[in-house]
Amino acid sequence: MTRVWGEDGALLGGLGLDPAALAALEDRTAREARLPAGAEIVDAHVHLGRDADGHELGAEALLADLDRRGIGAAVCFPANDPGDDGQFSLANWVVARAAADARGRIIPFCRVDPRRPGAEEAMARAGREGARGLKLHPVAQRFRPEDPAVVLVVRAAAARGWPVLIHAGFGARALAEPIGMLADAAPGATLILAHGGRGDARALARLAGTRPRIMFDTSLAALPDLVALPPDRLCFGSDRPYGEHASALHLVGAAARLAGWSDAEFRGVLAGNLRRVLDGGT
Amino acid sequence: MSADPLDLARLHAALAQCEMALVRRDNVAAALLAQAARHAEGLPGGDLVAAAARLVRAVDVGGGESAERAARKVAQALCRSALQTTEAALIGAASGSRHG
Repeated sequence: MTRVWGEDGALLGGLGLDPAALAALEDRTAREARLPAGAEIVDAHVHLGRDADGHELGAEALLADLDRRGIGAAVCFPANDPGDDGQFSLANWVVARAAADARGRIIPFCRVDPRRPGAEEAMARAGREGARGLKLHPVAQRFRPEDPAVVLVVRAAAARGWPVLIHAGFGARALAEPIGMLADAAPGATLILAHGGRGDARALARLAGTRPRIMFDTSLAALPDLVALPPDRLCFGSDRPYGEHASALHLVGAAARLAGWSDAEFRGVLAGNLRRVLDGGT
Repeated sequence: MSADPLDLARLHAALAQCEMALVRRDNVAAALLAQAARHAEGLPGGDLVAAAARLVRAVDVGGGESAERAARKVAQALCRSALQTTEAALIGAASGSRHG
């Protein structure tokens, strides 16, 4: 399988495009990240399955993408495909099966809709299937982060030792106050705000200054936001299949140079910070 | 020699428009990328923008076929990489003027 910028090279060739030339640009972009030698890389943000918006990624294609960029593992959770029960049960199971087959390269998170009945039962089921974290999407599932039902599932995740990855990108609502309320209502929870919190970046950066368990992933983040955030709060991510790995690595490489991250800080962003959170630390 | 911040700012504004047009599958992306490619000539990431402009000329950006979706996603990735390159140059220039 030839992958080019995260897409099928054969499809591009069929349009009369030059996959080799596009791959050369991709390779150069990834090289410009200037990663620390031999650094472990773990992707904190990947959707598996088919989303209601048409985006799709399967485990085989993901593993090919990881191999292409020397990425060891990826946190994966379902696309926006809540299924008949509205609680992503089938999609969570598919991710769990992919993780079981991938021998540690897929780290499964489950996804639920906190405001629909059965969210905690869905989390328990996913836990039995191997889930190691929770993904919440306030825009797709139309809930407010500070909603009492959200607090309950976040507390339940914390009780399991799971981090909670929350969409914090595109969306009209201000996020800092609601996320602050959620963090205060579930003080044991580690919250990973996706996309560098670009949906409300400046206010969320201030909030994180007073909430040590708030982290950010770098997927499809804005470079100025990553430069401004402390590197020990950042976890590398791609948002596959919305983003891809070459530009995701290029982004953190640019942030590292502009912010002056040390070698150890850069390695932390690429994998160490996420490993620490998955192991129950902050 | 570092790029003129005004040229970088112009390109940055153009690329942000291109990226959103591609996300929204709007056919105006082809015209916006052609314009951005002119702005990008001689600047860091200019070849990424040129490749994205060529790509969207060759496909229907609003198309729903698998190949068209793949091409649109590659154009987005090229555009995003160019935007990041431009932002890095701008931030670097701003830091230099703050500290210089």
